[in-house]
Amino acid sequence: MFDKLLFFSSFLLTISGAAMVLGSKDLVRACIALLACLFGVAGLYATLNADFLAATQLVVYAGGVVILMLFAIMLTGGSNNAVNRFGINKVPSMGDGKTLAFGILSGAVATLTIFKITKNVFIDYNLQEIPGYSSTVEQIGQLLVTNHVLAFEISSILLLGALIGAAVIARPRKS
Amino acid sequence: MSADNLNVYMPVVMLMFIAVATVVLALLVGKLIRPHNPFDNKEQAYECGEDPIGIAWSNFNVRFYVVSLIFIIFDVEGALLFPVAAVFKSFIEIGEGSVILATFALFILVLAVGIVYCWRKGDLDWVKGFTSEELQNLSKAKDAQ
Amino acid sequence: MNPTFVTYLEQFLGYPATNLMAAVFFLVAVSILVGVMATIGGLGTYAERKISADIQARIGPNRVGPFGLLQMLADGVKMILKEDIIPSKADKLIFILAPMMAMFGVFATLAVLPFSSGLTLTDLNIGVFYVLGVGSFVGVAIFLGGYASNSKWSMLGGMRGASQIISYEIPVTLSILVAVTMAGGLSFSTLVEAQTGLPHGWYLFHNPFSFIAFFVLFIGALAETNRAPFDLPEAESELVSGYHTEYTGMRFGFFALAEYVEVFVVCGIAAALFLGGYKVPFDLGNGEVLSNALMNIPFLKMVVPMTNGTPIFKLLGSGLGQLLQLGSFFTKTLALYYVVIWIRWTLPRLRVDTLMTLCWKYLTPIALFNLLGAATWMVVFHGKSIYQIIFESGAAQAVGGH
Repeated sequence: MFDKLLFFSSFLLTISGAAMVLGSKDLVRACIALLACLFGVAGLYATLNADFLAATQLVVYAGGVVILMLFAIMLTGGSNNAVNRFGINKVPSMGDGKTLAFGILSGAVATLTIFKITKNVFIDYNLQEIPGYSSTVEQIGQLLVTNHVLAFEISSILLLGALIGAAVIARPRKS
Repeated sequence: MSADNLNVYMPVVMLMFIAVATVVLALLVGKLIRPHNPFDNKEQAYECGEDPIGIAWSNFNVRFYVVSLIFIIFDVEGALLFPVAAVFKSFIEIGEGSVILATFALFILVLAVGIVYCWRKGDLDWVKGFTSEELQNLSKAKDAQ
Repeated sequence: MNPTFVTYLEQFLGYPATNLMAAVFFLVAVSILVGVMATIGGLGTYAERKISADIQARIGPNRVGPFGLLQMLADGVKMILKEDIIPSKADKLIFILAPMMAMFGVFATLAVLPFSSGLTLTDLNIGVFYVLGVGSFVGVAIFLGGYASNSKWSMLGGMRGASQIISYEIPVTLSILVAVTMAGGLSFSTLVEAQTGLPHGWYLFHNPFSFIAFFVLFIGALAETNRAPFDLPEAESELVSGYHTEYTGMRFGFFALAEYVEVFVVCGIAAALFLGGYKVPFDLGNGEVLSNALMNIPFLKMVVPMTNGTPIFKLLGSGLGQLLQLGSFFTKTLALYYVVIWIRWTLPRLRVDTLMTLCWKYLTPIALFNLLGAATWMVVFHGKSIYQIIFESGAAQAVGGH
């Protein structure tokens, strides 16, 4: 009962958040909607017994990426000019024929995906199929230092590269 | 039955719900008893008694952005270190302590290189000092005015 | 839970009721906890004013109730009665959402706070990491509160607050990692049970690195909760009131409540990670010692019939043990809370650039070094604390001397 509730609330939060990101013409509001969407995704991870992934989703995305986006928005002076550069202030994604076509296409794909997901849930949803709850932290930790130790170390080098790249790009250039 | 084990998240969801519900309820109850007579001056943003000039949503300094960029890198680092730290003790217990320490230390040291680089290049300085050249240019610009 | 009641309920309702019972049970527990925490938040404001008055040789609130204890109720009533003003140029939706998000982030962290071994709402396996995750909502809320007001003071406070909170999250995370490395698990039960009741087994005194890590964590926690000397987001003398300048009445009250509860939460986490948490000296907390002791009291032996008296003793013992654990946890947490308030009324506020320097040039390198040091200590000394090493070497010498 509760797992269904958790799943459907996360699902609704994800979908409605994503829809609001698309529909909002205010950048900051879109950012909050994105936060809701990411939070919903964390809930979905929690339903799938991936507790560590869910917390990572919260720490990295809710705490880091959303704040970064908000700062980036403030860097450009907030969302006081909701009119895009084509002079259209209705919905940002409805720029011209090309974006409209793209939007419809992605909407169709999303709808099909949703139907595909919900079909399984409604028709052959079976409690027995869900494996028992167990923490994934220890498993992930073990794999990170045994089988995937190279990936773990390379990720640190990737992070180093990202750190230096971020610092270099954000550094004010001397004219 | 195994799905019941998701019940560990039950208090989490409840607390989140109650936190939001408390705010909504208190504001709704307050609506019945609190005064409500707004007028233009009252609804102005506070600017020490003056009429506010423009809006507050202006361009902010790039420093905030740099800080959050550096933060994200370390945030991801923390997220990667947590599972390794969680199994650290069990690896010591089976006698593989030096192996996991080497893995752990290498990961941290590589990122320490990053923070040393940022430090040396002055990206961690909140207020960057001017070079003497820049100072001269500034004074020239001032003289030109 | 009483299984017969569950089966009866299942027959009555016609579907499995275990979940329902769990839900009701948790709902009651959560409601009690929220009530207690709201009271603690309110008492926090009272303590703040009373202690600051003490430090400044004033009397402080003393009119409402005995010793002014009911001041928080008076404040609450006042806040509800205040007019709710939303600036006309504000982003109304975000303005309404921001205090809600602050409450959301803070109250969600309560779910894993270990009050005692039995009184933890849910002992998630990701424990501290979960706290870091949901706690980050507060930073977003402070930014949004500053942004939505469309006031320059608020905006400055919000930007400062968000950048400060995310910056200090790094040393805090790294210091928490020190405790995780030593305990070998992320859940609070693992972290607390790895320590002992007496100070020699606390992680604070485990090794020099964890000693430093505690102070880094505590300083970082001060900054994350916007407490002085890091209260730049709401610096009264320069930013009017910072991110909540435009908030009135109850909306402001929720920001304040969230802040005070968050201070309690971070103090509780610091106590759980480094000060032994709910552990009581001499294992009095686990109930067995107490129930054995109770059984040996001659007077009680006479009163309670011995035939079915033993389970009662066990229950009584474990109940008393839980109470002791609760007392231990609250003593440590409130002591830290007192220190937080003490620091606020003692130290002057930092400047923005010194704040960032402290975080990135001092605390973060120190925390990184600490983490490496603690990990090395664990490997070199096989997880033994300083106390154990000294004790064992002393014992070895004593044996060798004979």
